[in-house]
Amino acid sequence: MSSHTNNNVDIHDTENYDPTTWVPKVESHGTKDIWGRFWILSFLTIADIVAYFVWPPSMSRNIFFIVMGVLKAWFIVGTFMHMKHEHKKLGYMIILPMAFIIFFLFWMMYEGNFWGTI
Amino acid sequence: MMWVFLLSDAFTFSSLLIAYGAIRYSYDSTPIEQIDALELKFAENVQEKFAPDVAETASHAATALEHGAEHAAEHAEHFIPALRELGVFTEAQWPSPDLVFNHFPFAHGLHLPLIFVSLMTLILILSSVTMVLGVEAGQQGDQKAVSKWMLLTIIGGFMFLGCQAWEWTNFISAGARMWSNPYGPPAFAALFFGVTGFHGFHVFSGVVLNIIIYINNLKGTYAKRGHYEMVEKVGLYWHFVDLVWVFVFTFFYLI
Repeated sequence: MSSHTNNNVDIHDTENYDPTTWVPKVESHGTKDIWGRFWILSFLTIADIVAYFVWPPSMSRNIFFIVMGVLKAWFIVGTFMHMKHEHKKLGYMIILPMAFIIFFLFWMMYEGNFWGTI
Repeated sequence: MMWVFLLSDAFTFSSLLIAYGAIRYSYDSTPIEQIDALELKFAENVQEKFAPDVAETASHAATALEHGAEHAAEHAEHFIPALRELGVFTEAQWPSPDLVFNHFPFAHGLHLPLIFVSLMTLILILSSVTMVLGVEAGQQGDQKAVSKWMLLTIIGGFMFLGCQAWEWTNFISAGARMWSNPYGPPAFAALFFGVTGFHGFHVFSGVVLNIIIYINNLKGTYAKRGHYEMVEKVGLYWHFVDLVWVFVFTFFYLI
């Protein structure tokens, strides 16, 4: 661990903050969680492949695949990218626009069915 | 800032995938009966390739094998056009990805849909795990462990890029180009090259960034600085690349 003195100075603290020696707060969350997430992600991918061969192609199967994708994204962003340890506001800033995008994905996939048929 | 950049990058990839979803469903899907029939045909093709006429006499064996090999090569070359004549890979139908991407290294002629791309997914998820273990080691201030995990991440990145190159080579040697596609609508190939190429370039940039971090860490830059925040930032980018692949995989190979 570093021996710097201004270890926990807030970045907004204009009097004590010095960017040249500032050391960000370090939080370690252990490696147990990481391997747990790896097994979950592998399991979800295998479930996807099984569904591909068992379930005949349909729009409901596509919705299932996208929901599985969002689930995988949840674990990657939450644990691997430490989102669950960040400020809540940052989380909403990312998740809200992406929620609209996911809706748009479904919408345009459905919309495509009607292209060139009118 | 990294998060803002990643969000904007996510928008770019989303627009590509949204376009894929819309264009893909503006075509008819390959009927399930056709997929089943074609899988049978693949099986027959394999038998033809791997069971040359062994009943030939010893004196004729060499020429028979040669002839067999020639026949197999000819067959492979005319396989897709022959299917098009049967009304399988037509311009009006979006090809089923498991009939297009069904190759696996060292298993020529076998029909193995989704296996290779699952391996690619596993490689990328594993390299994401080694990356996050590297970040974790950085938080403990363990310079040696950071080097070890970064190196494994870089190897994972190169393995993925190698797989991508192999997949592209197969698709291109089947006759696919940005503007034409032997399996059906040209948009299928254009979107495949466009989106996996864009993603592949992200992976390549990620590998370059990882190498820079690895070298800096070997020189002790972060140990001197007192924190390993750069490892964490590049880690964010690397996980993002993995995240995008999850969706590229979903759209190109499953939907």
